[in-house]
Amino acid sequence: MLDSFLVWLESTPLSQWVVGSDSMFAFPGILALHAIGMGLAAGLAAVLDLRILGVARGVPLTEFRRFQPVLWGGFWLNAVSGVLLLVGYPTKALTNPVFYLKLLLIAVAMVLFVRIDRLIRRGDPAAAPAARRLRRLAITSLVCWAGAITAGRLLAYTYHRLRA
Amino acid sequence: MLHAAQIWLVAVIEAHSPVATLMRTHWAWPIAESLHFLGLCLLIGAIGSFDLRLLDVARRVPIAAMHRLVPWGILGFAINASTGLLFVLTEPDQYIYNPSFHFKLLALGIAGVNAGLFYLTSYRQVFGASPALDAPRRAKVIALVSLTAWMTVIVCGRMLTFYRPGDCVGERGVLLTCTPR
Repeated sequence: MLDSFLVWLESTPLSQWVVGSDSMFAFPGILALHAIGMGLAAGLAAVLDLRILGVARGVPLTEFRRFQPVLWGGFWLNAVSGVLLLVGYPTKALTNPVFYLKLLLIAVAMVLFVRIDRLIRRGDPAAAPAARRLRRLAITSLVCWAGAITAGRLLAYTYHRLRA
Repeated sequence: MLHAAQIWLVAVIEAHSPVATLMRTHWAWPIAESLHFLGLCLLIGAIGSFDLRLLDVARRVPIAAMHRLVPWGILGFAINASTGLLFVLTEPDQYIYNPSFHFKLLALGIAGVNAGLFYLTSYRQVFGASPALDAPRRAKVIALVSLTAWMTVIVCGRMLTFYRPGDCVGERGVLLTCTPR
């Protein structure tokens, strides 16, 4: 079942354009956008986590929320470019457990980000119980992003099948 | 002249590389690549958000407070300079003849000079006794150049694979972009 779906997906014009086009805007361009989105999403999340853990204490956490649209922009850029890469090489990704690990880690990291933001919005993040919870969430978030990025890089080395 | 320098550099690295054997073990290259990506995120997260602050995002935050993030961006850069050097010292021809690598170095140079200009031109306004909340106009231009330069560095880095140098066929140009045989 999965195999016939993969064969079909790889035969679609979009998939063949992503993989086969000589245009620098096809596979290479999509990869480049995926790297930029990674820098924006994971980078700003990491900086928010560092701020929670005590770096740049002079920056109020509530003001740090102003950078959130950039984080979300990076996230959606990578959701779209990631789907395009997946359409290009569906077999390579979907038959590799590391790919599912990467998706899981990103999902957890984004849920953590939303929960961190909710705690900050609720006010007085410096109050003792909230501060301790925030620190725990920030450390977990850093671990998840580092894991997601490493898993993503290792996709190039751990796949079993390139095409259906 | 530059062609000869490139050929010489590749030959010297290939003859004396202290890390090539280590980097060619099974997991060394992928691990160094992963670190290179982690460093990228740290650099973009810290330097990018500082640049955005200069460009009036979160403008109620004092610029000097935001600047405390910059050392973490420098840490990211240090990670990437080290891991990047490992790649070049292992497969020198794949980089020294690669046009995408030449552009990446150019963008890195611009980012570096640009960062120096920030401290030379805007230090007093931003970190002085009575710091302005609004960054001076030239600091905003510098922030924009910084963001553009770092995005270019990422794109050129990602494009290295697609501009791998092939064998030379009567190549002309300022820099050699193919492997001489």
